[in-house]
Amino acid sequence: MMRARKILLSVCSLAAVGLSPFIVTMPAVAQDSVQARIAAYRDRVARLEDADAVENLTATFGFYFDKGLWADAADLFARNGSFEYGQSGVYIGQDHVRRAMLLYGPQGLAQGYLNNHMMLQPIITVAPDGKTATGRWQGPVQLAEPGQDGIWGVGIYENEYVKDGGVWKFAKFHFYPMAFTEYDKGWARSLLPLKGPSALFPPDKPPTVVYRSMPGNYIPPFSYKHPVTGKPLTDLPEEPDSVTGRK
Amino acid sequence: MRRTILSSASYAVLAVALFTGTIPAFAQSASAKLDALDKRITRLEDLNAIQRLQRAYGYFVDKSQWRQLSELFTDDATLEIGGKGLFLGKPRVLEYMQTAFGMDGAKEGSLANHMQFQSIPDISTDGKHGWIRSRAYVMSLGGWGLPIYENEYRKENGVWKISRLTGPFTMYSSWEGWGKNAMNNTWPDKFNPPPDLPPSFVYLTYPAYFIIPFHYPNPVTGKPFIPDKGEVGAYAAPPGTKVQADSRKIGLIPDGTQGIAEPPRN
Repeated sequence: MMRARKILLSVCSLAAVGLSPFIVTMPAVAQDSVQARIAAYRDRVARLEDADAVENLTATFGFYFDKGLWADAADLFARNGSFEYGQSGVYIGQDHVRRAMLLYGPQGLAQGYLNNHMMLQPIITVAPDGKTATGRWQGPVQLAEPGQDGIWGVGIYENEYVKDGGVWKFAKFHFYPMAFTEYDKGWARSLLPLKGPSALFPPDKPPTVVYRSMPGNYIPPFSYKHPVTGKPLTDLPEEPDSVTGRK
Repeated sequence: MRRTILSSASYAVLAVALFTGTIPAFAQSASAKLDALDKRITRLEDLNAIQRLQRAYGYFVDKSQWRQLSELFTDDATLEIGGKGLFLGKPRVLEYMQTAFGMDGAKEGSLANHMQFQSIPDISTDGKHGWIRSRAYVMSLGGWGLPIYENEYRKENGVWKISRLTGPFTMYSSWEGWGKNAMNNTWPDKFNPPPDLPPSFVYLTYPAYFIIPFHYPNPVTGKPFIPDKGEVGAYAAPPGTKVQADSRKIGLIPDGTQGIAEPPRN
């Protein structure tokens, strides 16, 4: 981030040389070329800043979500932004997102709660126009509730972002938990299923995709293309799920 | 602010033109400054690109997408993971993965996450080579694992690829955890396929101690990391300790390296 700023400053100092009051003719080619290059570099620096902003937005959401700061977390969503966690369905708009998060503990959590969702390993793709972006993330999950054993989890995030009035926001937060297990037992001896939609506060839409956590082995769709071949990462080899029958 | 940049810059060029008439000297100097700027922006983009590449490698490992994974490598890439030895070339990268870990495809009941964290990327001055030190945080059906990577990348026709993957292990343990269980390092004939070349260095995993050399110097002092002389980078304890000094005299095989131990018994 700071490095990108420094580059912009360099552009400024380059420009500051020209405070002359004289107006003269100037070879059109050189002028176009300098202007075109500055414009192109300005765009490239802007895309770097966008990717940084999206990374920080997501990390910020993670810190809020971990501690049950639901109001702060919901503020990071665009007006029609959506929140989807596993098989719990889709909640749309800041108010619904805020209420949906109460399903993960009281506001500010409470004694005995742990809601760690580490959002790491980002692959961020900013659209060429700098108005939208996507990000794939992954990380461990550590959960606790009063009177229950601790839970280990792991999963993938595929989020969408939108720049709204110059500020990056969540257009879509989508967490695909891949596996949950009891802390004391581990994957080989304990596998916990995903929760379905809440009866207390039903979602606005059903889950966008029906899948099982482990022992299922679903591949969340990739928001980015293969970094070397440039081909879309669709139809990758995947065993059909013996329960959901998907694929 | 951005609009100001553009208009001021064009005034700058105009102003200089007054004194020179033809292609102004300032235009050349502006061009040189823009070249330098291009280099710096490209470097930032390249740093992002190789981090992205390494993370994409991890997402392919997690779901056993070996064909896609092998496409991340240069044709002449090398791969060395754990104590298994060196595999030479992209086809062998694919063969290693498919033979050792099964054919492509996410399989029911399996978990083999190699989460790619903590990358420190660097790009060469000419912008053609890159390096990353990073780690995999392994969370799998079998338990826990901690490889570290010191990888090399190459830009071919504008596209970054992995040209060398070096992933020595720090620690592997069952779900019981490293307080109760530690697996020893892998070795060339532990499982198929055999490597093209033996391991480029021999070391032990936790509870022993090993540091893969850093591709970068200490960022504050500028001092490079220098492994203890003649120790092939293998440590039983931190360098300079008595345990480490003793380990250099006890249990070495004739070539000066440490042998591979039996797995620890409970």
